[in-house]
Amino acid sequence: MAITILPPAPAHENAKAYHGDSSDNDMDIDDLPSGHRSTTTNIITPGQTVTSDPQWMRGHGTFADTDSAAIRSTLAGTLQKTNKLLSIVPLRARYTPEIGDLVIGRIVEVQSRRWKVDVAAPLLANLLLSSINLPGGVLRKRTSVDELNIRAFFGEGELLVAEVQSLFQDGSASLHTRSLRYGKLRNGYFMSVAGMGGGAGVVRAKRQIFTVQTRSGGEVDVLLGVNGFIWIAKHVAEKEDVGINRMEEKVGESMYSSQNDEIEGGTRREVAAIAGGIRILVAGGVKVEEGTVRRAYEAGLELDERERDGEMMDSERGSAVVEMVLAGG
Amino acid sequence: MAPYTGIPLSPAELSYLHTSLSQHPPIRPDARSPTAFRPLIAETDILPAANGSARICFADGTEAIVGVKAEVEKTPSASSHSINSHSINGEVADEGVRGLGSGGVRDVEDDGMDVDGGEDGKQSSKGRDEWLEVAIDIPGMRDDDALPVFLSAMLTEALLADGALKDKLYINTRFHWRLYIDILLLSLPLSYPLPLLSLTTHLALLATRLPALVSEKDEDPLFNDDWEASTHLYPPTKDETARQKPPITLLVMSVGENILFDPSREELAVADAVVAISVTQSHTNTTGPDADADADADSPNPLHLIALRTIDPPSRLTAAGLPNSLNTSAGAGAGAASQSLSSVEVAVTREKDQGVSVWRPPRGGVKRAVLARMIKMVVQAGGVGEEVLGGLRGVEI
Repeated sequence: MAITILPPAPAHENAKAYHGDSSDNDMDIDDLPSGHRSTTTNIITPGQTVTSDPQWMRGHGTFADTDSAAIRSTLAGTLQKTNKLLSIVPLRARYTPEIGDLVIGRIVEVQSRRWKVDVAAPLLANLLLSSINLPGGVLRKRTSVDELNIRAFFGEGELLVAEVQSLFQDGSASLHTRSLRYGKLRNGYFMSVAGMGGGAGVVRAKRQIFTVQTRSGGEVDVLLGVNGFIWIAKHVAEKEDVGINRMEEKVGESMYSSQNDEIEGGTRREVAAIAGGIRILVAGGVKVEEGTVRRAYEAGLELDERERDGEMMDSERGSAVVEMVLAGG
Repeated sequence: MAPYTGIPLSPAELSYLHTSLSQHPPIRPDARSPTAFRPLIAETDILPAANGSARICFADGTEAIVGVKAEVEKTPSASSHSINSHSINGEVADEGVRGLGSGGVRDVEDDGMDVDGGEDGKQSSKGRDEWLEVAIDIPGMRDDDALPVFLSAMLTEALLADGALKDKLYINTRFHWRLYIDILLLSLPLSYPLPLLSLTTHLALLATRLPALVSEKDEDPLFNDDWEASTHLYPPTKDETARQKPPITLLVMSVGENILFDPSREELAVADAVVAISVTQSHTNTTGPDADADADADSPNPLHLIALRTIDPPSRLTAAGLPNSLNTSAGAGAGAASQSLSSVEVAVTREKDQGVSVWRPPRGGVKRAVLARMIKMVVQAGGVGEEVLGGLRGVEI
């Protein structure tokens, strides 16, 4: 079947509006367990009165009228209660950079001494010419020649993986790629999901970069940027660990190349399969991290074997994968 | 270095996508088969105040609403029309605003349709091109931006080239219906929205109903005010496959020898050629002398091509990649070598590479053989066009 056309599904039955003005509302808040549940279906809209009871304190995502004690929401999201503190967790939000985050970014603008990088944050991030590795790993001051050749390192539209080095006053990030793990991205496929800040998406985890051993395509690297950008690429075998003294040899190799290696069809199919798994995770509201990505890939393989001949609807397949991922975790 | 063009993909990504899509079979990023469409959500009759309406939603969140509104209008009399037959853009209005004339289905159709085409030509003298108005609204774009103008021109062209629609708007010699098709894209256009808008328009027109006429002949038209008694613009038949239907426009792209349907945005960014193909079902009364006798009654009417447009692929605006041999920062050894190259040698190296090792924006047009295969895949029996129409048939109207 080339095309599937479905009728619109009715809204989820549990999704009911939160009634802030009724008198039993305060009872509701009292009944709420402390902390935040991802299954909450009560959605609060901006301006809605959360409570008028003065016993509660207002937290993030709320404001109070000047003349009354009523607490109102500034966001569309769900209620979180911490003892007597009420705050609203937004349904979705942009990524807010924090120092040490591993992010994937795309060069938007090249300036004389820096690049402007899109990291899905409210403001573009900066990557200074002085915070990248030079080819050959030489350690020296950046000269005006480097400034003239700035596009030889990164041009507009190119993808890089970097770490947030510091934050400016206005909340924009300054990045650095001064590690062998960071730098220009190639040999792979980019996708973007929601990042930190609400809803499903990439969450901060112990490991953001990992290698999946695929069935028929060899090893595939998955880079989960905390900002929700994901890079899935063929794993390029590293030579034996080089010491700090021989760093230049490695850096010199292909640090700033934009030419892909030879990638076999099998590897490409596995990359597409992992990307499909991540898409299913996001659609199913499951957070994206190493464990879930691996399980989604394996669940996809298992379903492929089971359904070798029978065609499976995308939605059925999605829910089956989500079930298997949640069961495995 | 090419300027930043708004296609936010790096040369390495473009090269990866292009090579993946040129494999046999092509590997699409979302693991679809070449002829598969993204799943749709569709419903009709959502606007109570319109004569017909439809909504289609793609899984990626792009969504379009189409409302069809009909209005009775006085037809300028034949004599005054000939006075008014001014030329628009150098084309005589009598031949149709878009130069399509009255021929309905002409040059583009295949053998065996000649008789039908002749009939169409006679009938379509009743209807006029300007009775149909298509307006497209895309968020963040002005009405006179290139994209909405081109899209509405392409959709109008398909609807008019069919020839059947404008004849349905004829009431009598003095009055006619004027049909306003208002297309509203609710989301930003993530990919080229032509197929989405075309399928939505198709459903809206299928759902369109006009009040039943009670007056006769050339009287001032009087309509039955009972909406239950209204007639469909495209009257339903017992056999759904035989029902006359508005045309559909499909977006087809090619990468190398591979042909892909319903391309997503990232696929369009590496397309060698993009073509919009409009097809419609032949009319039920196609019983020419050489009407194929072996076609059994159950099989749907064959599709035929009514319009074909090439679309400038966005891949032409992308920046080319730099092969390692020319990259001064790719490696110390290569850098030293390339610095000694003259600009002529660099240009020769780039030309010889032919986009094999790194991405290079496509040049030239589409090969005739590929174009012919594209059309065949759409119109042939059991082809993509029939499957799409079959899928749309399942939508409740």
